[in-house]
Amino acid sequence: MMSKLIAQKEGVEYLLMGNEAISRGALEAGVSVACGYPGTPSSEIIESLCRVAKEGNLYVEWSANEKVSMEVAAAASFAGMRSLCTMKQNGVHVASDFLLHLAASGIRGGMILVFCEDPGALSSVNEVESRYFAPMIEIPLLEPANFQEAKDMTRWAFELSEEIKNIVMVRSVTRLSHGSGNVIFGKLPNTKRQAEFRCDGPILDPDTGLVFSAPVVYKHQLQQEKIKRAEEIFERSPFNTYEGPEKPGVLLITSSICYLYCREAISLLGVEDRVGVLKFGATWPLPPSFLKRHLSLTDKILMVEEVRPFLEERVKILAAGMAPEMGIKTFYGKETGHFPSVGELNPDLVVSALGKIMGINSYVGMPADYEKKAQALASTKTPQRDLTFCPGCPHRASFWLIHNALQMDGRRGFVCGDIGCYSMAILSPAGGFGVMKTLHSMGSGTGIAGGFGKFGQFGMEQPVLTVCGDSTFYHAVIPALINAVHHRANMILIVLDNGGTAMTGFQSHPGLTVNAMGEEAPAVDIARICEAIGVKVEIRDPFDLEETRETINRLLEDEEGVRVLILRQICGLSPEKKAAKRYEVRIDEALCLGENCGCNRLCTRIFRCPGINWDRQKKKARIDEVICAGCGVCSSICPAGAIKREEAA
Amino acid sequence: MEDGGMGQRELQREVIDTHLCTGCGACVGLCPYQTSYHDRIILLHPCDIKVGRCYMFCPRTPTNLETMRKSLCEEKDLTPEIGAVKGFYLTRATDEQIRKDAQHGGSVTTLMTLALREGIIDTAIIAEGKENFLHRGVAVNDPAEVKKRGKSKFIVSPTVAEFNRAAKGEAKKIGVVATPCQVLALAKMRLKPVPVDEGNIDKLKLVIGLFCGWALSWRGFMELLRKKTGLDAVVGMDIPPRRHTLEVYTKDGTIEFSMEEVNSCIREACHYCFDTTAEFADISVGSARLPGRWEETRIWNQVIVRTQRGDDLVQLARAGGLLEFREAPGEALDELKKSAMEKKRTALKSIAARSGSSPDLLYLDRFDPVVRMLQG
Amino acid sequence: MEKQQLSKDPYNIVITGVGGQGNVMASRLLGNMLVRKGCQVTIGETFGASQRGGSVMSHLRVSAGSVWSPQIPKGRADIIAALEPVEALRVLMRYGNPEVMVLTNTRPLYPVAVIGGELDYPSPEEIGTTIRELSAHAWFIAATDEAIKLGNPILGNIVMIGAIAGTGELPISREDFREAFLNSMPATKLDVNLRAFDLGVEKVKQAGGLKPVPAPPK
Repeated sequence: MMSKLIAQKEGVEYLLMGNEAISRGALEAGVSVACGYPGTPSSEIIESLCRVAKEGNLYVEWSANEKVSMEVAAAASFAGMRSLCTMKQNGVHVASDFLLHLAASGIRGGMILVFCEDPGALSSVNEVESRYFAPMIEIPLLEPANFQEAKDMTRWAFELSEEIKNIVMVRSVTRLSHGSGNVIFGKLPNTKRQAEFRCDGPILDPDTGLVFSAPVVYKHQLQQEKIKRAEEIFERSPFNTYEGPEKPGVLLITSSICYLYCREAISLLGVEDRVGVLKFGATWPLPPSFLKRHLSLTDKILMVEEVRPFLEERVKILAAGMAPEMGIKTFYGKETGHFPSVGELNPDLVVSALGKIMGINSYVGMPADYEKKAQALASTKTPQRDLTFCPGCPHRASFWLIHNALQMDGRRGFVCGDIGCYSMAILSPAGGFGVMKTLHSMGSGTGIAGGFGKFGQFGMEQPVLTVCGDSTFYHAVIPALINAVHHRANMILIVLDNGGTAMTGFQSHPGLTVNAMGEEAPAVDIARICEAIGVKVEIRDPFDLEETRETINRLLEDEEGVRVLILRQICGLSPEKKAAKRYEVRIDEALCLGENCGCNRLCTRIFRCPGINWDRQKKKARIDEVICAGCGVCSSICPAGAIKREEAA
Repeated sequence: MEDGGMGQRELQREVIDTHLCTGCGACVGLCPYQTSYHDRIILLHPCDIKVGRCYMFCPRTPTNLETMRKSLCEEKDLTPEIGAVKGFYLTRATDEQIRKDAQHGGSVTTLMTLALREGIIDTAIIAEGKENFLHRGVAVNDPAEVKKRGKSKFIVSPTVAEFNRAAKGEAKKIGVVATPCQVLALAKMRLKPVPVDEGNIDKLKLVIGLFCGWALSWRGFMELLRKKTGLDAVVGMDIPPRRHTLEVYTKDGTIEFSMEEVNSCIREACHYCFDTTAEFADISVGSARLPGRWEETRIWNQVIVRTQRGDDLVQLARAGGLLEFREAPGEALDELKKSAMEKKRTALKSIAARSGSSPDLLYLDRFDPVVRMLQG
Repeated sequence: MEKQQLSKDPYNIVITGVGGQGNVMASRLLGNMLVRKGCQVTIGETFGASQRGGSVMSHLRVSAGSVWSPQIPKGRADIIAALEPVEALRVLMRYGNPEVMVLTNTRPLYPVAVIGGELDYPSPEEIGTTIRELSAHAWFIAATDEAIKLGNPILGNIVMIGAIAGTGELPISREDFREAFLNSMPATKLDVNLRAFDLGVEKVKQAGGLKPVPAPPK
């Protein structure tokens, strides 16, 4: 089955996910190299390109981290090819050191950075705005506003990049990346560029000289000229649009997915003839003449964007400069409290803000009596659904053991957390049993633990642990581990090795024997890396409960330096495991002690695997055979031997 | 107990958090919520059962000692100082090898071995040393196995946990060698305060109690030992009477620790203990305190026989020539009673200091006749 | 492809359930069926943490020619298809209205707080009554149970797609399902999926389709 992404036919229409549309745009631009680090909501861009790598003659990789991924993509550009680099919002911060230097050195083949942000943090631990990198590092920023634009702007971004000889940022958001819509395909190019790094020319020649950021002032000047050039191009960009009446009462200025919310709000309020929408596809640098032309249409302007007032600030600064000629405008937005500066927007929030400005309060989304009835009838019947470790998840077993070992140790030890599925351990009901106490960026658990592990001289007696996933280990743990070893920090690193980048959908990483394109690859072994650093490593299976718990306690007793424990058990959702149950699990009701002294529902009250339910009538535990993944761990924790497991046929 | 609960939460509040926990293991092995680690009892996860066996069996939750004395002993044998006394002897094993492997006279080893051999019990629960002075209770069926484990332990072992485990299994008749706190826990179980697993406690056929003044906290003692010697070098320990030292025997000779040093590592719970002679055992055994040379005294035991089944066993050992008996000097019993009373008095003071009010005796009842007698 | 006439434009569909039930796949398949028919479809969905037992929801906006927001405005759902009963209630509270149609899979998936005992899960009767109270038409379909009979509980999502088709509200047919399925899934799985689809159609028709169910004779 050939992926529709490399369908040759021009003009066909497909339902594409925003991320797939971005991939198609890159293919239509003739991209040769695509790299990224997985992160929701960006992962499907590289994933879908992996699937067409062979037919499309692409080089695609899941890099060890975002910075490395951008460096690999930059090399492609230096060799004259077009390259794409993807990551989620946090990733830009990881890559930013290189990005800063790259923006100053400039590029050759078209290179774009697609970063997918997550307003409202639907699947992130922050909702940071990475748009601010564009003005900070002085590179252009594009923001597609629908699925067709996701494709078309990606394609165009490569042209812009080559035109100004610098990297271009393209920003998507969860609702675009993970949404889907109709996309009409353009043409795929027939030929690919030859890779060659020309470096024997005059030092400062952009096409044949050295690639670096010095002489700094000269290069900086050059970079700002590129931005000036981008600004001129944006003045005529088809992605900056106005729709609405000639003299709107209110002008909405927006970008990204909020454009669709604006259109919906205008339609819901029925004010098509009184409200205009100025949509920016290119949001930095803003084209001043284009802006001025549209600001002049009206006096009231509502700025519609998610999270921070990025566009609002820039529009106001430009408007202040234009005020002597254009007159003073009234701006509504985040500073006036018409929109929050946190969380994501939706059509209802735009309806409410616009209605307030226009004095319209007749719009009814949900009839009041219906809403009242729905609240009265349903609010008590909708128990909250907390996120939790999946049935069969090795992390539940690992945290169970870490918790028990720390309780037994009794010195108030704690775990510094990290980013991955195991981040959920910071929320007790999720199955972390309350052991994780800090949670920051990739690899930071190890860095923080390395700090805590040095505070014995100040009287700190608590044992310090940290956890990281296998993918995270390669991403950012290694330097922190080296630091801790060199400084003799007292800490235990537990690598929760589940055999892939599970959180984001099982992407490959350097520890696996297959790369992103499905080719055989040398696996870089975590244990051997640790040993080379000078750390003794033990490897256990978290499903061997007692042996592993004893190991953790022994490591806790051993108070010398850095200790590493690898808990190895493949993710329950992994392709190799998902299909097959290892055990058939059932409850022997005659043995189940239920709520009685001696058990008190350990499996459902404390262990809480979603595969086990509590039958309130019978007062017995019950396996939900649809949910149970058959890992069999619950049978090891049942104090009454009532959970029976048999090797599945 | 404001809300009338007698479960894990109260156990934590009244026993664990107040450092009354003796580490006996009575609350361990019954459910998945408590376990023991080193010499401590660990609450692994919260349990919200209102009346739990953990609380009911704990020797440091409120106990009506008077009811217990009357139900488990013959009233005529009762003494306020050391509980029931059916007989008082000085004994030692006639088997020299047993004496050599034992701490003192080898009487406990002899009696336990005999009970196993005669089928009075099929399983003996005794403490066994592990690495680093840690101990655990083990269940053994072979008399030879008992002999290997005859030395005194200075760190608590969760012996009652092993009883709980064994009672759930194949064993039908169980004997336990236990410290006074462990004996009290077993006695509480025998009164069956909760209607669960009644058949299990009925398997308890013999309790041999050990005299005990205190136990050491493992972590504290390890630190103390490490200051003077390598842990690997230690081969044994003892406390000779009236010398106020702890002797640690190492490959390179004896190291002495002053009692001040040792006191700092005594388990806090031991300061609140009201019982040095294991008053609710069938037989209680300790080292002899005789005038004369310690080297001669130390190979004898003082034995208090408390119950009929205890007496039967001791007489069986005498008849079989397994135990050698020696006339106990008249003052020996008085001295034992005096020192037991002294310990009870100190315990009451420590308990009042911990509770912050002298009528509040925590797990003890201020209307208990022995308590009233001491408080005069 | 001719432009479709829809009873409303945009026509708003919510497919809801719990992570791991195949919510996303269901919305894509349905979306592809509609695009085949010349509709402009916008799907909004959240996943990422969706496999981890959380509530998931896909919004489908179907139009003859416009791109709509990937989020349906409050109170504006036309059809709600719930792969899990309590999720139907959750969606009704935000997107329901007196005219909404609700298709509910009857098999509950208990939240961890219910398994743990802190929260209660409503009885099937309570769920049924409440959904009927808050909708114009309601169908209750044992989709997971039927899927288990077909050999794989995950087919519950396909049964529910069949049920949506069975209402006759959308211009989609069995053939559209077949085509859309073959475009993204292996042909070997087509037969069992077609059976699941047919079952869904059948269940809704058995229940009298869109016509109100006649009151039982007194």
